[in-house]
Amino acid sequence: MASRHTLNGFVLALGALLAVGCDWPGKPDPGTRQRAAEELTSFVPLYRQHCVGCHGADGQQGPAPPLNDPLFLAIVPDAELERVIRRGRRGTPMPAFGIEAGGELSDAQVTALAQGLKSHWKSDEKLDEPLPSYLPADGDDSTRQPGDRERGATLFAVACAGCHGENGRGGEGSDANNAIHEPAFLALISNQALRRIIITGRSDLGMPSFAGKDGRPDDFSTLTSPQIDDLVALLAHWRDEQGQLANPHTSNVP
Amino acid sequence: MNHLLRELGNWIDVRVGYSETLLPMLRHPIPRAADGPMGWWYVFGSASLTFLLIQILTGIGLSLVYVPAANEAYESLVYLDYEHPFGWFLRALHYYAGSGMVVMLLAHMTQVFLHGAYKYPRELTWMVGVVLLLCTLGMFFSGQILRWDPDAYWGLAVAGSMAGRVPVIGPWVVHALLGSEIIGAAALSRFFALHVFVIPGALLTFLVLHLWLVLRCGISAPPAADRPVDPATYEAEYHEELRQGVPFLGDAMLRDLFFSAAAVIVVVAIAAVVGPKGPTGPPDPTLGGANPRPEWPFLWLFALLALSPPAAETFIMLVFPVVVIGILFLVPVVSNRGHRAPSRRPVAVLAVIVIYTTLGALTYLGVTAPWSPEMRAWTSAAIPTDVVERSSPLELQGSLVFQYKNCRNCHALEGVGGRRGPDLTTVGTRLTRDQLIDQVSNGTPGGGNMPAYGKQMSPAEMTVLADFLVSLRPSGQPPAKVWSSSPTTRP
Amino acid sequence: MDHEIIQPPTEQPHPPRRVFFRWLTSAAGAVAAALVSVPFVGYLFQQRKQSVHWVALGKVAEFPFGETRTVAFDNPLRQPWDGVTAHTGVFVRREGPGEGAVDRFLVFAVNCAHLGCPVSWFPQSGLFMCPCHGGVYYANGQRASGPPPRGLFHCEWRVVDGNLEVQAPHYPTLHDTLDQTT
Repeated sequence: MASRHTLNGFVLALGALLAVGCDWPGKPDPGTRQRAAEELTSFVPLYRQHCVGCHGADGQQGPAPPLNDPLFLAIVPDAELERVIRRGRRGTPMPAFGIEAGGELSDAQVTALAQGLKSHWKSDEKLDEPLPSYLPADGDDSTRQPGDRERGATLFAVACAGCHGENGRGGEGSDANNAIHEPAFLALISNQALRRIIITGRSDLGMPSFAGKDGRPDDFSTLTSPQIDDLVALLAHWRDEQGQLANPHTSNVP
Repeated sequence: MNHLLRELGNWIDVRVGYSETLLPMLRHPIPRAADGPMGWWYVFGSASLTFLLIQILTGIGLSLVYVPAANEAYESLVYLDYEHPFGWFLRALHYYAGSGMVVMLLAHMTQVFLHGAYKYPRELTWMVGVVLLLCTLGMFFSGQILRWDPDAYWGLAVAGSMAGRVPVIGPWVVHALLGSEIIGAAALSRFFALHVFVIPGALLTFLVLHLWLVLRCGISAPPAADRPVDPATYEAEYHEELRQGVPFLGDAMLRDLFFSAAAVIVVVAIAAVVGPKGPTGPPDPTLGGANPRPEWPFLWLFALLALSPPAAETFIMLVFPVVVIGILFLVPVVSNRGHRAPSRRPVAVLAVIVIYTTLGALTYLGVTAPWSPEMRAWTSAAIPTDVVERSSPLELQGSLVFQYKNCRNCHALEGVGGRRGPDLTTVGTRLTRDQLIDQVSNGTPGGGNMPAYGKQMSPAEMTVLADFLVSLRPSGQPPAKVWSSSPTTRP
Repeated sequence: MDHEIIQPPTEQPHPPRRVFFRWLTSAAGAVAAALVSVPFVGYLFQQRKQSVHWVALGKVAEFPFGETRTVAFDNPLRQPWDGVTAHTGVFVRREGPGEGAVDRFLVFAVNCAHLGCPVSWFPQSGLFMCPCHGGVYYANGQRASGPPPRGLFHCEWRVVDGNLEVQAPHYPTLHDTLDQTT
């Protein structure tokens, strides 16, 4: 009888071993097969491979404007977000990622990135200010005037000079290197990118938004959309003073 | 029953005669010392043989499912990995037992070399052994091609490009290798034939010759410092030694059997835990992101090619392997007499140390491949946040240009990014603004490692990039001054 | 059982008939070997005659001036059983309109001139980079830096009825390039 038990035990052990064998760590997981295909159009790996370099690991604290910014995500139109990813933004170092524009992302991947930005980082909180529009006025809006650089200069003294210095030539003390009235700086940033930065600020680097009061004088009031146009007009004028730095890759400032 | 079996054995023996031929061979005496603790040095050859048997077994198994056609091979590998019962395990075992075979062959060769066992009268045994090593490496390379993924495709491309450098007949050699104008089905079939018929046939033939030579010349005794080899007297001395020898068949085999069993267990465990290698994806040459790497036995050659000056490259590809094989081949011709003990052959010991250190260092470099740009670094490696936080608007633009112009693919910041060029985390302390602009514009003089960016950048881009690079300094460190790093530009 | 050792017959001058037979046997053997090996060696190494194939890459207008595009196609040099390995990529760059408004294209094989690895195009820096050993080329295909001994391989191209066509490329190597000039 003892030998029968031993035999049974042996068979059981062998069966168990085979059953365990199906879960050996080396056995390829069928799940990875599907995941590999899904990863091609899922936001996180796409963002990690194609965006982190300039926009920062968490969508913040990169040299390029932060994407993980609820204010930005609240005002940017979906179509514009997709268009910029696909076609790039001329006049800035934002390259075109769409395959038809010489990049390597398919339509589905561009869409996944654009939608992923909003679904990952868009805040549910209501932003109570009346928000300026992301894009400047369209032609059919007859009430809107194009920006005026004279008004812009006045505004700059109030809203910007505290950090960027008089005429944007750099502030005092720790703000000494905050100059933006620099031909090379302006040559590599488009009017739309300027507008966006004026609206959203750079919360990750301490620059206040269009409504932020930090570091601004007491008589500062929230910037309106036309006022932002004026500021952009001023900066664009500064840029135009320096035509010789225009560059072949980024010259077509829209 | 026993009686019947013995009858059957006798019946066969009368006709085949194994008791007169085979049995004495297996019972051949080996030197007594080789049955002692020194016997553990002798186990590597038989372990290689054991792995070869596993390779034959798993290879036949895989051939039952694998389809050696360019349009189906990848799918059949995926089927093996995910669906066929134990298909993944056979693939893994075939890979790791093959790797084990290379390791054991190298250990075996090293032991034979260090113990001077290749000296008279075993010179030919060594030479045939070198052929077996070449066959095994040929199996490794052709086997990698059968794993019909991008590494296989680009491995063929590299092999074709190397062959294409042969003067005059280069194009003909490429065509003989690929079997077609393009890399595809014909090449796969050629390497399948090599892997399954040609090389195994050669390997088994030379293996029989090798074993015959081992039997005929006898197993060498462990080296003794006071007994150099003299071809005139060696035979008599060896014969005398064998008088006190022990038969191989029996306890003397135990060590080999034990070691082989242990090696197999280790390899099976690795296969079960690590699993099969690849295939990494379909072998579509138009898919992006290809980053071909050779199999580990060839990483050292990959590294050597990457590090050699361009002028020496064709030589290293085409002549150097022939020279190395020639040297290995001629080892027993150069020294077939004299001392065998490592203690009396410091040059031999030194040679082994130098060769393995070199191979090890080159293989390590081959794994890390610091000469390869990281093709995605410019969009996937973030600018370090401490750099971003301290940057001025101009420097921020400069860091964008740095990424945008793909500098990051070759230059790391704080260790992240390509390593083909120097890490630029503190470049501002080493080079002045003018030197940086000169370096970026003109690249490495004479078309070295860095391309000239002069025509690829606008003045604004160059300005902000220089601002950014100059700012790359630990806080408190002053920027580089002209006189400190470039005496030639001193006024 | 013991085998008898057959002693060779004592040396005698061979009769002429035997000498002739030995000679005949060698000759017949040589002829037989040649008859087998010539076709076999030809089977292994001779190149099949291929006619020149042209592949349409698209309308000329689809390629913007001064930009580089990757175009993938199925290589007509393929066999039906080549599978995805017959997919072939080329880089197409349309140069600015030349004199007399003649279209000028640069069509490059993706293979690095160093060891055949696939180079990638980076429009931002205007460079091709190779992932293997870091060979770099300028937009016009010239070698910029790294180990390649020459520039990228140029494919033959032509424009037929407003369509850009490229001559189906074989695998290019140093001594077997894709055009006659380089």
